[in-house]
Amino acid sequence: METIALTINGKRISCPEGKSILEAAESHGIKIPKLCYHHSLQPFGACRLCLVEDKKTGRLFASCVTPAAQDMVLLSDSPQIIKHRRNIISLMMAEHPESCIVCNKGNRCQLRMIAAELGIGENHLYPMPNPKPLEQANPFIIRDLSKCILCGKCIRADHELVCAGAIDYNSRGFKSRPATLHELPLEKSTCTFCGTCVSICPTGALSTKTDFAGTPERESASICGFCGIGCNLTLGVVGNQIVDVNPSHIEKSVNDATLCVRGHFAHDFLNSTQRLTKPLVRKEKKLTPASWDEALGTIANQLLEIKKQHGPESIAFLGSSKCSNEENYLFQKIARGIVETNNVDSGGYISGRLFLSLIEGRADKAGRFNFFAGPLSGLEQAEVIFVLGAEPAQTAPVLDYYLKRSVKKGIPLIVANPGKGSLTGHSSISIHPSGSPLSNQNFLDTFYLELINLISVQLLEKEATDTSFMSRFTNGYEKYKTDLLSLDQKVSVKKANLDIHAINNAVDLLAGKKITFVIGDELMLQRYGKEVMEALLNLALMTGSIGYKGAGFHVLAKENNLVGAWDMGTVPETLPGRLMINDENDRNIWEKAWETKIPRTRGLDLFQMIKKAEEGRLKAIYIMGENPLRSLPQPNLLFKSLESLEFVVVQDILFNETVTIADVVLPGAAFSEKAGSFTNMEGKIQCFSPALRPPGNAKSDLEILGLIAEKMGFPEYKNTHEGIRKEISSTLSTYSETTACKHPIWIRERNQEQGNIDEEQIRFSPVASSKETLWDNDYPYTALFESLRFHLGSGTRTEHSIRISTCDSKGEIEVSPVDAKKMNLIKDDRIKVTSLTGELERTVKVNRDIRSGFIHIPTAYNHNDARHLIQLAPLLDASSNGWDSCQVSIIKVDRVNDRQLER
Amino acid sequence: MNPSEIDWEKFSEITGKHQGEKWGLIPLLQEIQESIGFIPPEAIESIADTLNLHPSQVQGVITFYSGFSTEPKGKCVLKVCRGTACHVKGGKSILRMIQKDLNLEEGETSPDYQFTLETAACLGACFLAPAMMVDREYYGKLNPIKVTSVLGEYRKDKGED
Ligand code: SF4
Ligand code: SF4
Ligand code: SF4
Ligand code: FES
Ligand code: FES
Repeated sequence: METIALTINGKRISCPEGKSILEAAESHGIKIPKLCYHHSLQPFGACRLCLVEDKKTGRLFASCVTPAAQDMVLLSDSPQIIKHRRNIISLMMAEHPESCIVCNKGNRCQLRMIAAELGIGENHLYPMPNPKPLEQANPFIIRDLSKCILCGKCIRADHELVCAGAIDYNSRGFKSRPATLHELPLEKSTCTFCGTCVSICPTGALSTKTDFAGTPERESASICGFCGIGCNLTLGVVGNQIVDVNPSHIEKSVNDATLCVRGHFAHDFLNSTQRLTKPLVRKEKKLTPASWDEALGTIANQLLEIKKQHGPESIAFLGSSKCSNEENYLFQKIARGIVETNNVDSGGYISGRLFLSLIEGRADKAGRFNFFAGPLSGLEQAEVIFVLGAEPAQTAPVLDYYLKRSVKKGIPLIVANPGKGSLTGHSSISIHPSGSPLSNQNFLDTFYLELINLISVQLLEKEATDTSFMSRFTNGYEKYKTDLLSLDQKVSVKKANLDIHAINNAVDLLAGKKITFVIGDELMLQRYGKEVMEALLNLALMTGSIGYKGAGFHVLAKENNLVGAWDMGTVPETLPGRLMINDENDRNIWEKAWETKIPRTRGLDLFQMIKKAEEGRLKAIYIMGENPLRSLPQPNLLFKSLESLEFVVVQDILFNETVTIADVVLPGAAFSEKAGSFTNMEGKIQCFSPALRPPGNAKSDLEILGLIAEKMGFPEYKNTHEGIRKEISSTLSTYSETTACKHPIWIRERNQEQGNIDEEQIRFSPVASSKETLWDNDYPYTALFESLRFHLGSGTRTEHSIRISTCDSKGEIEVSPVDAKKMNLIKDDRIKVTSLTGELERTVKVNRDIRSGFIHIPTAYNHNDARHLIQLAPLLDASSNGWDSCQVSIIKVDRVNDRQLER
Repeated sequence: MNPSEIDWEKFSEITGKHQGEKWGLIPLLQEIQESIGFIPPEAIESIADTLNLHPSQVQGVITFYSGFSTEPKGKCVLKVCRGTACHVKGGKSILRMIQKDLNLEEGETSPDYQFTLETAACLGACFLAPAMMVDREYYGKLNPIKVTSVLGEYRKDKGED
């Protein structure tokens, strides 16, 4: 690329060709005022504030839209320019309302800042009438367009960054304003309340709805504590409270200038009155406040006593996909090193860690090569993207933005989903299972597996395989090929009632390309989840779609530290760094580091822990930062089995369902109140430091764990987060960069280079196929469980967000127009939904996008009552039902009776 | 054109023709405006679908250009000039006279959808000032008598229909 040299304000600078004058100036520290420019948006040239003057000709340019050219001689603050700028700002101020004085953007308003710099206070222009502030019923965003300066940043952010298209300019001249379709309120538009426009708006025209007015006392960098994208945040703090949240100013962060509704608006849950602030110990059946010393002493004594009496296998540890890497590391170290058990798992059991292990299990031992696709930015360079069983618009919205932006760049997208999701309209091909209320055959279970099998066979038949890749790096292809070719395609099509045209089109699109897979939670909760994943891994090998730029697997992580908890060994079969328990060499590495013996066999996973508790063989469980009584199916059953335990410790931040059965409760700290690191779904380790103090007597979870270890007689386990990072990096070379942890390094780069894996070969796994299952006629409908973006997981935390709980979305069950008619249902009618395991009651709404025979039940709402319908069965086990859907019957509940009941 | 008489078949025919077209929005809108007389707001979403645009974008374009209207207009659209040249030559009283005659304010449409009254900043026919346009016809050097006769002609036009 050519380099261009030019002079600004007498300073000689250079920049690559194609940069604007503004970018060139900024990269050399020359500041030019600007209002409509943003580094992530297409330049727009609307505000004319960034004027520069050509010294030779006196011509003025808007520097943000003028490319830098060789030998330009420019001035950025000549008297002429200052005069123009003052005029522009004066005109803007003349149009600005008096309510400017009490504005939530406060001292962060860029218009005010520039006005102050230019010394524009009093204005002798005739004040212009402004439009009235808009009434906003939503609990998230206030739009006061009387303060709008028409910079268009909100619109461009909405279109270019989050691809929602909720707003655009409406009208022209003085009436021109950013508006929704038909000028309806935001909640009636396609707005997702991601708040991206709010953060990017330079004035108070768009602001966060909050009781607080003014500027935060300080700003603190952090990482979002909700989903696995790990968005970089800036927390605005007043006293010991977060008053607003914005995307961090760091360029090249995973989320850049975007966030989602949870990250932006749901962190008010931290101020909940239900926060745990002091330790509690059960005395005479009642949880009673206790000192830290008493609580910790009780735990140490009880655990050691139970270990002595019933053996280490009688104790289980449930770590957290929400707690930090360091905490999970110490947690499993206590379990393995002190209690001597491998009964360690995390809530990640239900949100994808099983998939991670499955994928990792196929990679080569030396770890020089892996199936994970790495940075999300790779999506925008993919050859073809294949999304399966994921609805990122709800579960990981920033991923959804990436996908939609990729489509805008012309990258083909194939979507396979049980319902019509938000990506359907953006995809080149979308494939759904057919549901026919007339047939009692379950096409949902068979859908993904037969789909992948068919695609694989057809690619094979087309010879669209990467033979050189396979011969160098894989083994078992011949057998795989024979097995695949012996599949009866007609039977597959019939079993899953697939649309063969869609499949043919998908195959045409995939042929000859490296595939980037995005796989979601729905897939992992499926009956054939394991078989589908194995089939996908085979497909990736066959097409050479790994170790290639942008290609491979993105596993959607619903929780912020799902990957980290797994990586740090909060897993029954692996140690930190994903070393295998049953491998002597692997075990030795950590035995040496911890100066202890680690049990040789894998421990219990979450499901097995519950089973063992039921059988009376598990005696105690230590639960850190998880709420199984809200997140797992069949809570009544679960309650009974956990209640029967001799001793239950719950360490958490909120008084939740699981706390009610605890014998000792320890108040921990939220991410904003402690230091540590999270690993996001890209595998990027991001550090955070505290912005606030934990409430009351609560302590950081790492400190708590250290104190417990000390009470149990292992004071050397006590450590700081830096100390733990050192401990890890001195043991495993893969974490060598871990000690210097500022923001946001400690990134473990994954090897994306294809071609350095000649030693060990990756095997193909056997071809599997599905069995036909029939529906029970007593339960004629299929309920699909879906997460909505307002809640994370089972809603333990988001339920406490006042904004979320007062927004319009109330978790209505969605039914198709056909079924609504059949059952005589209209919006807001109540229905009772019954499955084999339980029932629930909610109101309904009719949605054209739902196919008849299906109903969609949002999870997390009403104390996550959806879990009553699901059967508690092991995951990734084809002999039991999946958790993604179930068969139900529906009856309409009489509204009148209902009201009488309420009285 | 009465809004209850929207020819949806015609509408689908037009959108069908432009399906998936790049840069197809303005021609598509023009065709709809021309043949249906306005762009029904309830059609915005389906237009957006046709061209893979956001509905808000389509609305933005419609409301930006004065050539597009989201309300049904009268059969004859009058544009009376308010430009400088016309003003000097008494354009204002011409406008007032028409307003009184048709009983319409600026931007309004008569209940029988015969007339819509609009104004323009300059019709580009200053040498004919004071000027107005009815649909695509120019009428210049207006005076009260001429105005009455022009209006009469368009009323008569209605009678023939
Ligand atoms: S909140 Fe997000 S979706 Fe809504 S208008 Fe703003 S940028 Fe668009
Ligand atoms: S609302 Fe804010 S971001 Fe949007 S155009 Fe107005 S000033 Fe710019
Ligand atoms: S919930 Fe996920 S997508 Fe939303 S702000 Fe947090 S990390 Fe980002
Ligand atoms: S910043 Fe260049 S015109 Fe607004
Ligand atoms: S001023 Fe009336 S036509 Fe130009």
